[in-house]
Amino acid sequence: MWPRPGGFFTSANPSATPQLGGVPGFRDLLPLEAEILREAQESLLGEMRRWGYRHVITPLVESMDVLDVGLGIEQRRRLFKFTDGRGDVVALVGERTVPVARLVAGKLRAAALPLRLCYAGPVLSTDEGRFQQRRETYQVGAELVGASGPVADAEVIALAARCMEATGIRRYQIDVGHAEFFQGIMDAVKLPDDVKAAVRSALAARDFVALESLLEDTPLKSAEHELLLRFPALRGGAEILDAAGGLVRNRRSEAALAELARVRELLVAHGIGEVVNLDLGAIRDFDYYTGVIFEGYGPDFGRPVAQGGRYDGLLERFGRPAPATGFMVQLDLVSEMLTRAPRPPALPRLDAALAWSGPGLSTALRLGSTLRLFGMRAVVDTEARSTSEANAWWHAVGAANLVHCLSDSVVAWSATGQRTRRLPPEQVAARLAGGVS
Amino acid sequence: MTSAEQVAIAVPTGALHDGALSLLARSGLARLGAEELGRQLLVERDGLRVILVRPSDVPAYVDHGAADLGIVGKDILWETPGAHYELVDLRFGGCRLVLAVPDASSLDGPETWPPMIRVATKYPRTAAAWFESRGQAVEVVQLHGSVELAPQVGLVDGIVDLTATGRTLRDNRLRITAVLGTSTARLIANQASLKTRTAAVQSVVARMRKASSDAG
Repeated sequence: MWPRPGGFFTSANPSATPQLGGVPGFRDLLPLEAEILREAQESLLGEMRRWGYRHVITPLVESMDVLDVGLGIEQRRRLFKFTDGRGDVVALVGERTVPVARLVAGKLRAAALPLRLCYAGPVLSTDEGRFQQRRETYQVGAELVGASGPVADAEVIALAARCMEATGIRRYQIDVGHAEFFQGIMDAVKLPDDVKAAVRSALAARDFVALESLLEDTPLKSAEHELLLRFPALRGGAEILDAAGGLVRNRRSEAALAELARVRELLVAHGIGEVVNLDLGAIRDFDYYTGVIFEGYGPDFGRPVAQGGRYDGLLERFGRPAPATGFMVQLDLVSEMLTRAPRPPALPRLDAALAWSGPGLSTALRLGSTLRLFGMRAVVDTEARSTSEANAWWHAVGAANLVHCLSDSVVAWSATGQRTRRLPPEQVAARLAGGVS
Repeated sequence: MTSAEQVAIAVPTGALHDGALSLLARSGLARLGAEELGRQLLVERDGLRVILVRPSDVPAYVDHGAADLGIVGKDILWETPGAHYELVDLRFGGCRLVLAVPDASSLDGPETWPPMIRVATKYPRTAAAWFESRGQAVEVVQLHGSVELAPQVGLVDGIVDLTATGRTLRDNRLRITAVLGTSTARLIANQASLKTRTAAVQSVVARMRKASSDAG
């Protein structure tokens, strides 16, 4: 088998050699990890395709003019920026929703809405992140542009759930909230503007101690105060909507609750009612999201692996006003979760190691072609080997079978856990391709 | 990893340790002797898993989800903001982060500060942000211990350090010229724990909230 990440590939390089470890914050993915990641990416894109989402590829580099339109100041600060040969400022993308919006408003302007698009690719950030010092991560996402309302919201949430399922994550959970619920409370609550700003930043920092002391100092107490204080605990099933409905006294929040109730019904119809929780205290980038928002959690993992929501304001900034919703899955978190699962995904191993000695080379090459034609994975050795050398090589490459090609007509075939048999190459090919090992 | 119903809480060594254990006992969550936890570092009792870690490591355990909850001084959170939820002011372990200068120094209020003030501290981020928000240029020298020594040997103009009683400062002939902030112990929570195991985690939070406000 391939060594696990952190094995002998990365250790023991003398300090005098070039930076074999790579640039800090950027990681190599070794075969096992890379294969799990790629499998997960294909599962995600495959699920999106089944829902009618067309794949687009946008460049790794975008013009700062475009990114300025779509991104907030904090996100822009974290971009790798440079000037291209013509003196234009460009940046490596830090997320891929804005490039898709640029596409929909530009080259796809003539395409009828709604549009269903999906993408996969790396995103970069100069910030090493709070968690694992990674500046390059991988995202797979889907965007539904040109459709408003609960049916579209429920579609992308259900798609996100099915995507998590498709990668093989078990026991996942989707938390659904609504950006307008909070905005409505902030409208209704009677506070000076500077206190409101402080409330927003305390919530953004998830600092409920600061929030509490801010609200304690205000003379006016209302149901909305109460809601803000209970923010992290406003979670549950349909009953939470009634509970919150009894407390809010403003149109925006009431409309949000009604929309959430409808989305919940639709998610039950989608067949994912079981994994959905309502979270009225969901705290996200409220300047960007305009409606239903959601996050996907896996088992025993400290962070959301998928997140998304409605962003009806973005397309307008590119000159093609349109409602939109979408989500992205953090592919590297998914693959990390899969790697650490009690039963990591069984990746196809090498089917046959084809060794040869003297006259057996052409037999080995022929046999390799035949096996690959049947979709098997076969590797042919690069040098002649004795029987014991061939055995050692077999174990090193970790294949299910060793076929030692001795001549035109005879090969020695060993399968894991079985004695070695001498047979004509055609017979071995037939048995391997027939699934008999 | 913890099971669905078991809640893991990170408890700091150091100044907040006794207060944290006493709070766990008063909340009816777990009665633990300091020696017992000091010996084992990880004790499981009554569905609660208690992990003993260095104060500055508490946010790391919580942010990564190795602990659902953590007890940590606000001073640590100033330095290492993370993705956790800060839920409850536990109202013990009170102390102040202060700017202190030698008794003999001419420095006092902001009007006496030099164009560029040099301070030594274990809290470089907080110190830099505080001076910058006052339009004061600052050179922060990060030290890991015995910060009080630095101004006495001319390394810096003053220090930014935590003090509960002010005694260490007085012993080192330092006087307080400004208070940057006050700190108490806080209860922090992992964001995913709150979402995926709400009932179990919230019940522990509620008991600790009650016990801490009863005492306060």
